[in-house]
Amino acid sequence: MKAKKEIKKGKAVKAVRTDKKERILKELKSIVGEKNATTDQHILYAYSYDMSFVTPKLPDYVVIVHTVEEVQRILKFANKEKIPVVPYTSGTNIGGLCIPERGGMILDFKKMNKIIKLDPEALYAVIEPGVSHGQLAEALYKYNLRFGWPVGPPSASVASCAICHGIGHMNARYGLNSQEITSMEVVLPTGELVRVGSCAINPDAWHSCLPMPQMDGLFKGWLGSTGIVTKLGIAVHHIPPILKIFTVSCDHVDDMYSYMLNLSNYEICDDLTAVSWWLSQVPIPYPYKPKPDDAPEWFSYATTFSFTEKEKEARTEIWEKVVDEEKKKGTSIQVTHYPEEALKARTQLPSQIVGSTKNYCKMAGGGISWPGTFTPANRWAPIYKEWKKIMIGHNLSPSVRMSMYRGVHYGMLRAMTPFNKQSAKETENARQAIVECLKVDLDNGGMPYKPPVDFAMEINKRAHPGYLMLMKRLKKFLDPNDIMNPGKLGI
Amino acid sequence: MEHWNNGLIKKTEMENRSNGNLGMGRLTHRSIIPSFRGLKLEEVIMKWNIPSLKELEDVLWRCTACGTCKEAYEYGPPSVSSPICPAGEEFSFEGFLSSRGKIAFARGILSGDLKWNDALIDAIYKCNVCGGCQSQCELDHKPFIPEIIEAMRRKIVADGVGPMPKQKVIAQSLSSYDNPYQGPRRVRLDWTRPFKKQGKPIKNILEEPASILYYVGCTGGYNVPVRVVPQATASIFHKLGLDFGILGESEICCGSTAMRLGDVEAFKRVAESNLELFRKLHDEKGLKTIVTSCAGCYRAFMKDYPMAEEYGRMMEGIRVIHTSQFLYDLYMTGQLKFAESLPWKVTYHDPCHAGRHLTKFIIDKEGTQLWAGAYVKLEDKDCLYDIPRQLLKAIPGIDLREMRRIKANSYCCGGGGGVMTGYNDWAARNAGIRIQEGMETGADHMVSICPFCHYNLNQGAQGTGSKMKLFDLTELIDKVLPEKAS
Ligand SMILES: Cc1cc2nc3c(=O)[nH]c(=O)nc-3n(C[C@H](O)[C@H](O)[C@H](O)COP(=O)(O)OP(=O)(O)OC[C@H]3O[C@@H](n4cnc5c(N)ncnc54)[C@H](O)[C@@H]3O)c2cc1C
Ligand code: SF4
Ligand code: SF4
Repeated sequence: MKAKKEIKKGKAVKAVRTDKKERILKELKSIVGEKNATTDQHILYAYSYDMSFVTPKLPDYVVIVHTVEEVQRILKFANKEKIPVVPYTSGTNIGGLCIPERGGMILDFKKMNKIIKLDPEALYAVIEPGVSHGQLAEALYKYNLRFGWPVGPPSASVASCAICHGIGHMNARYGLNSQEITSMEVVLPTGELVRVGSCAINPDAWHSCLPMPQMDGLFKGWLGSTGIVTKLGIAVHHIPPILKIFTVSCDHVDDMYSYMLNLSNYEICDDLTAVSWWLSQVPIPYPYKPKPDDAPEWFSYATTFSFTEKEKEARTEIWEKVVDEEKKKGTSIQVTHYPEEALKARTQLPSQIVGSTKNYCKMAGGGISWPGTFTPANRWAPIYKEWKKIMIGHNLSPSVRMSMYRGVHYGMLRAMTPFNKQSAKETENARQAIVECLKVDLDNGGMPYKPPVDFAMEINKRAHPGYLMLMKRLKKFLDPNDIMNPGKLGI
Repeated sequence: MEHWNNGLIKKTEMENRSNGNLGMGRLTHRSIIPSFRGLKLEEVIMKWNIPSLKELEDVLWRCTACGTCKEAYEYGPPSVSSPICPAGEEFSFEGFLSSRGKIAFARGILSGDLKWNDALIDAIYKCNVCGGCQSQCELDHKPFIPEIIEAMRRKIVADGVGPMPKQKVIAQSLSSYDNPYQGPRRVRLDWTRPFKKQGKPIKNILEEPASILYYVGCTGGYNVPVRVVPQATASIFHKLGLDFGILGESEICCGSTAMRLGDVEAFKRVAESNLELFRKLHDEKGLKTIVTSCAGCYRAFMKDYPMAEEYGRMMEGIRVIHTSQFLYDLYMTGQLKFAESLPWKVTYHDPCHAGRHLTKFIIDKEGTQLWAGAYVKLEDKDCLYDIPRQLLKAIPGIDLREMRRIKANSYCCGGGGGVMTGYNDWAARNAGIRIQEGMETGADHMVSICPFCHYNLNQGAQGTGSKMKLFDLTELIDKVLPEKAS
């Protein structure tokens, strides 16, 4: 069956009248220049969909901005005209977050892509929103530095990932990408320019969001619905020269949890991740295919970077002790070999192998979504068992990842779910499975990250009334006309 | 038989043209060139497997819109990341940018969400079909990315709504003159004048047998600043004492430009004539090797012509080779020896058509390795990446400096895909970007193996006021090759 053809206009709005559209376009062009604003249908179409199950929707305008002043003028104008504004850098968020729920304007930041400052001594960088992971990686390498890279496409934006609580592949060492944010410059929906963190007090100081009230929180995790980040300070780190990856496998998810819990107590890993057999395949099997009986169900890679051989040996000693302990407990943990390409995919960062969706979607074709959550580690095993039933019930591979974050024993629990986007039926099948999984997770204390609207609704259903009231009040305060990425948070 | 004018074009057609009837009464598919100076062609009806956009529909749904194609990224370490799409650099909006954008257009056209209008057609032609985006993608539609772009153009032409006005001139010129430059036939030989003057005429293979056909290509023949390319090539061949011939005024376009623009009928017309001619030349004039110094012609012979089911039969016993490979083989066997030194600092520009366009993609057609239609891996041994570099390095005194973006990640000069004709300002601006990149290496000059890049990059250098000049590899070789090869 072919995919549904119709591209919706944002649900709650009628089509903008032609004369109004022309007037608005003229105004937009007067701000950003003739070449940088359009209502051309084919361009709107190119911004109307992403890889997720989220129904495509057309914006009315697309605008490319180059300067902070342009952003301010655009937002003042949009606020006056009550035109929805959807910030966009590369659209790879896997959650339909840049699909305009209510039409309006896509504001594309790809040309605001300067690395404004790189301080290799103080270990931070200041970047514009359009700076890509690939671009930053190259700049940092010159000083043998790195960021807490996610495994998304190298062309995707560092800032967008960070402000949406992006998950790096060095979470166990550095925390989430949003925990690496050191300062921000933001244009409010009403057009005013604000700064939060140290740069608010001294324009050249971008080193920390603390000890002031953490107003950066007003713009982190809000999916571009409270303001536009125009500059972001982020922490960067030295690259330790010695990489050692410890790999184990086991037959039961409970055994894997036990091993990860034990190992994470020692805080020796940059990344501590486990993947189900289905996710360890390159690519994920589509539709579901049973695991061979003799293959372990879980694999884990614990990535460690050390500055000296002795440091590496000390880490190795701890890891060996943990493996011994787990074996003595009678778990099925075995030291194992992890396939070369799969390892490269997770350690050559930013990762072209994963970012290109090769290992996720190559077999299914076109579509990918996830129940992607931050979940208490002690709920991973029971949730996985439920998810497995749901996924297999939908003929989908339970390609699940568990990653332990820094600090509290919690972390990523997610089922990367590719599907055939050409088929509306298969897309809907994946959506249903994912939402079902998500409900199980929410009921176990998990939280979806970068949530599509379907997820936001489920979160809000369960939310404390005070949480929702505060969120709405803050949103109203910052964005009185609800122009910024409206509808995304389900409020 | 009707009247023939120098064995090439029907007189009636000729008369039409002299009446200013350009492009009217377009030649039908088989009406052209039934005989070349007494060589009677077979008039084989050929079957072409050129996919339509509709036939590519399943393939283009493999794209995830991940955007990996937007940047050329190499992990390294140290990693390198650079813009790869000339259209994206110039026009910024998604849609223009890389294969992600082109596939969006294709989906919209097929679903009916996008209807032909000037802006859409314009956007589809604002692409160099350079394949830079293709090099980044990893999914099953990767092998088909340029095909998807060209299939949209084929549909545009078939639906009678394109190509772009300036590009239509190419189609008309092809039909009237058999070259895209609106150049009368006799002009095609102007580049040979110095040889005549020097008493070293170049053999016409239609008149005298020769085992090597030097297929000059229209750009080398008609584009005045680029005539240095065939001149250097022929000079080298003379110096080496090779038994080679040209088609002279009877050479017709390879059809590459028409194909890139989506004018598949114009392409087929010339391609079939060429294939039949090559067969005849093989059978009757001893042709064994076709050498071309044009990356566009080479790409057409290697990638486009094989889409004819008769290709194997027509080309049996004939090898097509690019000048750089041809000279490299001679170098390796000791027949090409450099006498002089050329103390130049140069950088090398990989033309798309002689580089990544020649990548072979292994597809699991039957589903025996992965699944039916899966892209398995690529082979780049046919891509002329290392050969020109090795030849360059073999020239005494040459100091080769590499640019950031090379080989599969080379940044297109901006001339290909009909852009030089359709959007010459943009083509030159983009060439300026590439020249700038070349200058950053500290090189004085840039070398390449494509007459198209030659012209466009020199335009770019002029536009940016750079002193850097683009030379064809043959020009350098000719400079250091002694008059009489040992
Ligand atoms: C294969 C694959 C793997 C991935 N792996 C990871 C991973 O490991 N970890 C991870 O966290 N993510 C991952 N992602 C998701 C995604 O790639 C990252 O979140 C990415 O960095 C998003 O960048 P983008 O440029 O595509 O952002 P977009 O999708 O364009 O934007 C993301 C959000 O930020 C908002 N936004 C954009 N610019 C601004 C601005 N200037 N101000 C305010 N809001 C703004 C948008 O409105 C949207 O809500 C993956 C994606 C893919 C396809
Ligand atoms: S063409 Fe390939 S690299 Fe580009 S968006 Fe599509 S899947 Fe990704
Ligand atoms: S073929 Fe070249 S110009 Fe066209 S979209 Fe791809 S990278 Fe851009």
